[in-house]
Amino acid sequence: MTNTNLDRLKTLLAEVDDLRKASTILFWDQRVMMPPGGAQARAEALATVGRLTHEKFISQEIGDLLGELDEGDYDYESLEASLIRVTRRDYEKAVRVPPELTGEMRHSAAIALSAWGPAKQNSDFKALLPHLERNLELRRRYVECFPKQAETYDVLLDDYEPLMKTAEVRAIFDTLKEELRPLIREVADAGEVDSSFLHGDFDVQKQREFAFRVVRQFGFTDDEWRLDETPHPFMSSPGEGDIRLTTNYRPTELNSIFASMHEFGHGIYERGVAPELHRTPLGTGVSLGVHESQSRSWENLIGRSRAFWRHFYPSLQETFSEQLGEVDEEAFYRAVNKVHPSLIRIEADEVTYNMHIILRFELEQELIEGRLAPKDLPQAWGERMHEYLGIDVPDDARGVLQDMHWAGGSLGYFPTYSLGNVISVQIWERLKEDVGDVDDQMERGEFGEIREWLRSHLYVLGRKFTPQETIERVTGSRIDSRPYVRYLREKLAPQHA
Amino acid sequence: MSVEVESPPLERLKGVLAELDDLRHAEAILDWDSRVSMPRQGAAARADATATITRFIHERFVSDEVGQLLEELAPLERERGHDSFEGALVRLTRREWERARRVPPELTGEISHAAGIAVAAWDEAKAASDFPSFVPHLERMLELKQRYVACFPPTESPYDVLLEDYEEGMTTAQVTQVFDRLKRELVPLVERRGGEAGDDAFLRGPFPAEAQREAGRRVLTAFGFTDESWRLDETPHPFAQKPGHNDIRLTTHTDEGDLMALFSTMHEFGHGVYEFGVDPTFARTPLGTGASAALHESQSRTWENLVGRSAGFWRWFYPQLRAIFPGVLGDVEEERFVRAVNAVRPGPVRGDADEVTYGLHIILRFELELQLLGGTLAVRDLPEAWNAAMKNYLGVDVPDDRHGVLQDTHWAIGLLGYFPTYQLGNVISIQIWERVRADLGDVEEQFAHGEFAPVREWLREHVYRYGSMYPPQELLRRITGAGLDPEPYIAYLRAKFG
Repeated sequence: MTNTNLDRLKTLLAEVDDLRKASTILFWDQRVMMPPGGAQARAEALATVGRLTHEKFISQEIGDLLGELDEGDYDYESLEASLIRVTRRDYEKAVRVPPELTGEMRHSAAIALSAWGPAKQNSDFKALLPHLERNLELRRRYVECFPKQAETYDVLLDDYEPLMKTAEVRAIFDTLKEELRPLIREVADAGEVDSSFLHGDFDVQKQREFAFRVVRQFGFTDDEWRLDETPHPFMSSPGEGDIRLTTNYRPTELNSIFASMHEFGHGIYERGVAPELHRTPLGTGVSLGVHESQSRSWENLIGRSRAFWRHFYPSLQETFSEQLGEVDEEAFYRAVNKVHPSLIRIEADEVTYNMHIILRFELEQELIEGRLAPKDLPQAWGERMHEYLGIDVPDDARGVLQDMHWAGGSLGYFPTYSLGNVISVQIWERLKEDVGDVDDQMERGEFGEIREWLRSHLYVLGRKFTPQETIERVTGSRIDSRPYVRYLREKLAPQHA
Repeated sequence: MSVEVESPPLERLKGVLAELDDLRHAEAILDWDSRVSMPRQGAAARADATATITRFIHERFVSDEVGQLLEELAPLERERGHDSFEGALVRLTRREWERARRVPPELTGEISHAAGIAVAAWDEAKAASDFPSFVPHLERMLELKQRYVACFPPTESPYDVLLEDYEEGMTTAQVTQVFDRLKRELVPLVERRGGEAGDDAFLRGPFPAEAQREAGRRVLTAFGFTDESWRLDETPHPFAQKPGHNDIRLTTHTDEGDLMALFSTMHEFGHGVYEFGVDPTFARTPLGTGASAALHESQSRTWENLVGRSAGFWRWFYPQLRAIFPGVLGDVEEERFVRAVNAVRPGPVRGDADEVTYGLHIILRFELELQLLGGTLAVRDLPEAWNAAMKNYLGVDVPDDRHGVLQDTHWAIGLLGYFPTYQLGNVISIQIWERVRADLGDVEEQFAHGEFAPVREWLREHVYRYGSMYPPQELLRRITGAGLDPEPYIAYLRAKFG
């Protein structure tokens, strides 16, 4: 009997997953393929498929099945127990939010996002302000759907980093703040690293070829992957055996290579999820933080390492001989790892990046708790940028308006970026213990063993366990910022030696 | 306490239909993506996702709720009449709902399952030119189609039920009459013209793909293609699709050894511009698409043949094409080129057929389908019957089944009753074209100046904008003042091919 119930649950969940895949492909198509004229019809199709997915998931039948099924009947480690456990948690969260509120949030986000573009363009914060206020009000109503937590922000965070508490994040970020601020100053005192050659004339077709060469060496194959171009790079996995990355080629810089490696990290995580988890809610990465740990691993721990460039720099230099002919490998390595406070998060280096995140994390808490009014955001932003990074914000376009997250209604998302950095190094340390000669392998352009280690230790797990359990299984410890701080200190040591 | 206000049934019906259209939009993108952009290994997961969406669409549509709404809306339908948007919407929805309700979901599932297996078997059978291996699959499909027919009230011919799926109101008797008339005309015409020596070695290129794409883009742009609302991609088999309003997607297949891509691009443009021209207020309703398969084909053939193979068109475009391919076409005069792309050359393959022989390829298939469904021809005897008809109608000896009975995918995927709409499209295209010329005068002179907007706008105004508001034969009557009539087409062929 129980088995029949479980099979029925799996069938229903598989259908829900199919609908999610349809949304994924509609979204991908919208950004990569769709003629602009199709936007209105696409918005409607996405809304309908999204609503149907939600309705199918919170159906009475799934509720009844969960009522009858008991994860305790199965071994904790088993697929069955995980499936019931995770579905129950998702379900209990999903049924708390009235569909009208979800609809209002989606609608408000869509309108705010379309206002955000021009507001950023014109550096006109006032134009976005009413939309932010509306989003915030809806977020408060959203929070009220859930049982009271130690902190209001806990509810928001849980959507992106399940079971993570604001207090835990704060503790981690406080350590980072304490360690990184002096580090940033030390680096600044040591003098400017020359990175002028990273700005110049980099033929887009050659960049494309190089980006493909790198990801192919990582494990990209035409059978299962795509790499396209969009203004904002992203990864999408619309089904088993189908992983899609995008990157952005700018004719004046080489960012496309790092963006491609970053998205590859997201993609290889999805690709590595155990096949038996497909078409279930378990068949994807466990949290945004852990996902980001993998994009940052492939972008930074691999893609900005000395060993990586020892392998790839000669061919890069040859490809762009005009720009890089006179630049030696060490100078190039230093330039792509240059630490330098700047205004824009997505252009920030590995170290200062975290300060951008911490600033947003703090402001988000103040906003949701009502300690900061949206209208006062620009001022608060400016003050904190000055305090944390020592720079003055010239205008709102390069300040509070730079990211689309808040316009899109995402509050609680930002911290996962830095958590990803922290987790990435925890995992990397374990990997290095097991694999041993990681640097030698990368110098030879070999990434198979690294990829395989990550797959068999992390990627296969999908959402079988909680994020925290997952991190513990892979690294043997809870989330911990010390390895990350150590990594940054070691990496930057020679820079100011 | 708020009072639930019951929305009028029409609003509720439109709500349900809009949601269904959104799901069809998703289904269309899943399909388009699987043919254009999906990595190969994504196929299995895609098949699951598509099957789920398709089933949800069906379940939602055949629901009692829709039936109840249709019942409530019957008075409104009578009151407003079928000339109104509301009346037409209810009429069409009722027709589709009643047809969909008659077919048990299990049978629909069996047919799509059998089609999935048969198409894979057909692929292999075709590659190996091995008809016997395909026989059981076709027999199974035929049996399922007979069961499908049995779901409907008896008609004069069982084939009527299949035709009705693609061409509302069309009967086997009507098609037979039209095709018999065409046959009497076409067979002797092919005999007269088919033996002429060809002067077209230059049509075999080579034509570099990128240059062909440039040529295709120029033609499409002149026709009305814009990046704002259209795409053009490459696929092995060209097709056109409209996932949603203002999102028209064409594909083409470029082979460096011929210029077929140019003609197939114009063909697909015809399908696309029809969909593009449907009244925008019909979006997200079942009225928001072309009236029938034959009407659609009439427009693809119009842009491919009546525009794209006309002397006026080439007076405008040939100098450009020649400049794009100076090596191959430098010595070829315009007249010679136009003659070559309009040559009558009997061959075994429908996809390569010219305007004259094409009709006979279709008639042959229609006749064989009738016999198969009527039980007067056994599946295993198909190759013999096929080859005999090819010899009779076109004087062609079929070299093997790959170039014979196995050439098309239609039967494998369960499309029985579809073929006739291709040729009906040719017939209708000329009926409409006569009206175009009556209103616009010497359109070829416009083409010669690269002007296609007057013709496109005339077609939009008189054909495209109506979408599926009227049953196809009624629409045809509104446009041309007459019912389906092969005579204008015959006159056109006589004038063009003598």
